[in-house]
Amino acid sequence: MQKIESVNYASTNAVPKADAVDKTLFVQVDETKCQSCGTCQEVCSTGAIQPKDGKDGPRTIVDPAACMNCGQCLANCPYEAIHENVSFLDDIEAALADPNVKVVSMPAPAVRYGLGECFGYPTGAYVGGKMFTALRKLGFDKIWDNQMTADVTIMEEGTELLNRLTGKDKAPLPQFTSCCPGWIKFAETFYPQIMPNLSSCKSPIGMLGPLCKTYGAEQAKIDAKKMYTVSIMPCIAKKFEGLRPEIKDIDATITTRELAYLIKKHKIDFKNLKDSEPDFDLGESTGAGTIFGNSGGVMEAALRLAYEVVSGEKLTGDAVNIKPVRTHTGVQAATIDVPKFGKLNVCVISGLHNAVPIIQEVIAGKSPYHFIEVMTCPGGCVNGAGQPLAPGTLQSSLFRSVIARMNRRFNMRSIG
Amino acid sequence: MSNDIMKLTRRQFVKSAGFTVGMCLVGVNFTKKAYAQAKEYLSERQLSVYKQDAAMKYRKSQDSPAIAKIYKDFLHEPCGHVSHELLHTHYHDRSAALKAVLAKGVKLKIGA
Repeated sequence: MQKIESVNYASTNAVPKADAVDKTLFVQVDETKCQSCGTCQEVCSTGAIQPKDGKDGPRTIVDPAACMNCGQCLANCPYEAIHENVSFLDDIEAALADPNVKVVSMPAPAVRYGLGECFGYPTGAYVGGKMFTALRKLGFDKIWDNQMTADVTIMEEGTELLNRLTGKDKAPLPQFTSCCPGWIKFAETFYPQIMPNLSSCKSPIGMLGPLCKTYGAEQAKIDAKKMYTVSIMPCIAKKFEGLRPEIKDIDATITTRELAYLIKKHKIDFKNLKDSEPDFDLGESTGAGTIFGNSGGVMEAALRLAYEVVSGEKLTGDAVNIKPVRTHTGVQAATIDVPKFGKLNVCVISGLHNAVPIIQEVIAGKSPYHFIEVMTCPGGCVNGAGQPLAPGTLQSSLFRSVIARMNRRFNMRSIG
Repeated sequence: MSNDIMKLTRRQFVKSAGFTVGMCLVGVNFTKKAYAQAKEYLSERQLSVYKQDAAMKYRKSQDSPAIAKIYKDFLHEPCGHVSHELLHTHYHDRSAALKAVLAKGVKLKIGA
């Protein structure tokens, strides 16, 4: 076990073989540390984490098929009893040290709002410029920004939605977003009948991998065969996504925490770094790309495109901010008036359990919505389980462990 | 009020009991602070994202010069041929693996 930014890792060298990915638990409980408080069981959307003895003993994740790899159990455990099992850190360091390998970094939008917390910045501080400089100092040859392919995702997914609305694309409505790997596994596992409703778009990182090795390689005149792409994510489930056989050209995935670990290990003085920019061709991005990190962000970014395309009118000033879809928890429905179309009904969901009634409406053919966004983590990727643990979580750990201890007492009495 | 307490589920009861006892042990002020931190935490990172969005030169994907360039030089059009080749995917029915878990007698929060 190794501790990285207050989270335990089984090893820094733990990459599952291709045929073992579906059988791998990306997080698991250390039963010797578990105090049986039940917090993890409460936050788990599927119920994959439960008492091993069937009563109130230490918790365990029962089967990889039932776990969506979101890691909310890990992020909420008051005892640091849950660890990550998969890490590409040693692999990445070997690639960085090899002069024949061109290492490409692909940071997700949300990472730049969490990374600073590992270096003493206030919660949510934007440290994008310093992050790009730190990546260069670590020896990454290119910084191709996942935030730029968030824009590509909007062009593709927004167009797909418009094609479904006009009937040019025969796939059914409502269209669900497909960026969140926890949500995709959830739909495939529990509700495969709605797979035709999922946008056929890969996630932004699923798009960036192949774009690096085609368009990027072409623009930068790099041999794609010598390229090693590193996805940097606020998310544990993205490690699973990067290993899916149909998602190609992502060679490694690390979390925000693991990036902070690399920066500290290489003694880079993060706070005193100058700001810099990513490399242009797959680097320049927009506000629509950065809001992907928030629940409601993909929806808002897609609406900024769909509105202009359908109505032929420009969104300017405050109208660019489509506030009715901004949310931080649960289910948020909104109706947007789009000239030349009418009322566009949309829904933003965070938390997979919250998606269940909405999915059931879709299956019953009674859904009022055209477009539905689902994110696994509360508030979206910025609160993903690959981010530094909430200072709230750490600072109030005494308080939380008192509650947890009380819960355990009550649990042991088996009331109710 | 007493009726409301009766309506609590076991877990909610345990949580509120733990919360109350925690408050007694560590003091009201600390509890308030910890609670506020846990609550507002969500919005702090999110607000930072919207602040950054508002400050960016381009706010819409379709206005980005990098997007204009990649569609002109490489992808040609959204949802076109190259896009379908590289940027779109298909999904896999994983319900069999779930059924195998349920067949072992495991109970989950969500049924198949």
